[in-house]
Amino acid sequence: MRTFETSNEDETIAAGVEIAKGLPRRCVVLLEGNLGAGKTTITKGFARALGADETEVSSPTFTLIHEYGPRLVHVDLYRLESEREYWTLGLEEYFDRDCVVLVEWASKFRQLLPKDAIEVRIEHRGGDGRRITVD
Amino acid sequence: MGIESSCDETAAAVVADGRRILSSVVASQFDTHGKYGGVVPELASREHLRAIVPVVRECMEKSGIGYGDLDAVAVTQGPGLIGSLLVGITHAKAIAMTHELPLIAVNHIEGHIHAVLMDVEGEVRLPAVALIASGGHTHLFAIDEGWKYRLIGKTRDDAAGEAYDKIAKLLGFVYPGGPILDKLAPYGVAKRSRFTAPRMKGNEMDFSFSGMKTAALRWVESRDMQAEIAGRKAMWKSIAGTPTIEDWLRVTPQETLDLIASFQAAVIEELLHRASDAARDIGASCVIVSGGVACNAGLRKAAGKLRVPVLFPKPVLSTDNAVMIAAAAFRKAEAGEYADLTLAAKSSLPLY
Repeated sequence: MRTFETSNEDETIAAGVEIAKGLPRRCVVLLEGNLGAGKTTITKGFARALGADETEVSSPTFTLIHEYGPRLVHVDLYRLESEREYWTLGLEEYFDRDCVVLVEWASKFRQLLPKDAIEVRIEHRGGDGRRITVD
Repeated sequence: MGIESSCDETAAAVVADGRRILSSVVASQFDTHGKYGGVVPELASREHLRAIVPVVRECMEKSGIGYGDLDAVAVTQGPGLIGSLLVGITHAKAIAMTHELPLIAVNHIEGHIHAVLMDVEGEVRLPAVALIASGGHTHLFAIDEGWKYRLIGKTRDDAAGEAYDKIAKLLGFVYPGGPILDKLAPYGVAKRSRFTAPRMKGNEMDFSFSGMKTAALRWVESRDMQAEIAGRKAMWKSIAGTPTIEDWLRVTPQETLDLIASFQAAVIEELLHRASDAARDIGASCVIVSGGVACNAGLRKAAGKLRVPVLFPKPVLSTDNAVMIAAAAFRKAEAGEYADLTLAAKSSLPLY
């Protein structure tokens, strides 16, 4: 387990860069954290490390799936409630590609997602400070 | 004919001369009577696949014309979910091939802009500014001579409509919460200090709504609101059908109404401030506002006070539909911008 303590947005992005650099080419990352914890912010770091344009990063809550270049896919399960809805997304097709699939709000569907997924947790610790743990 | 299938809606429409709606059918894939404030989207390709044939059939029946009378078939190419887009594109190609019609590819965002232009008398004088704000998008464009789009700013985090829905859910309102907050806002007193405008590093014309969401979360956490939120949920579970504004007012204390008013004022300020700055900078003849958030009554009212004319679509054309796709295609047909049968769906498709 690795831990990062950041005190502003830039440092949170930098932590995302660090984490993404150490990832296998093909993997699933479950990004956990409350509303406003900084999930979109850390994703900008992932984009930077994986050769995508970080200014393209925004919340996929409504749009469900964002692709940032060939190596990063950003998924948000916030709006989904049933297993049936989960399956209509067809995430398996992304899991079979050489890319990092970052999944937000995965806890509702944890049992359906790959067992070997990497978990990144981001927590608010006052002001702009964040604690990030990688498991 | 226009076909749209980029997100939750499967839609088809027949539009004459780029202006006259002969028919419009929208099959929405979410059930607004969500079980606990959550959307039931039943979304994505498999659902579009189920809906596309009956939607197109109904659209043709209502139009009163036959396939032989169509001049072209237009379809959303992106941005959106790739599997969902593919359903619309494949169906449009099949119609184009069978009836020997030209195919036109339309960008979903450009469609939203054309939803507004349908009701404009005569031509819009360019340059103009377009603000697209919905649950999934928040973009500010300059439209230069020759309908060339230039991105001026976009959201760095949440979309405007998403901020509404997430704060509404946080406060215990039913999905989609945006329209409820809009209707409740006039009953509260907006306090400027509660949601400070975010300072943007880099492009200062970019938007940010995540900070407002966090501010609302801290506000809820800082007081004991569990009973109030539980009261709202109990209210809408106890009544049949959709709660009225009076129902919501009964279970929402003044303090919360003030918070809602403050949030609404902050979002409107964030959107209109940048749109009017952009209009001034490029000497725009008007500001076009479209997307689901264009339905917001507070936004429409505040827009009336800007120096530059602000154009909104009819509410029914604000949210996703296929009329806007057919309308946007009309100009492309005039300009000879056709696609061929190799047309591919694009999950991200910039309009610039």
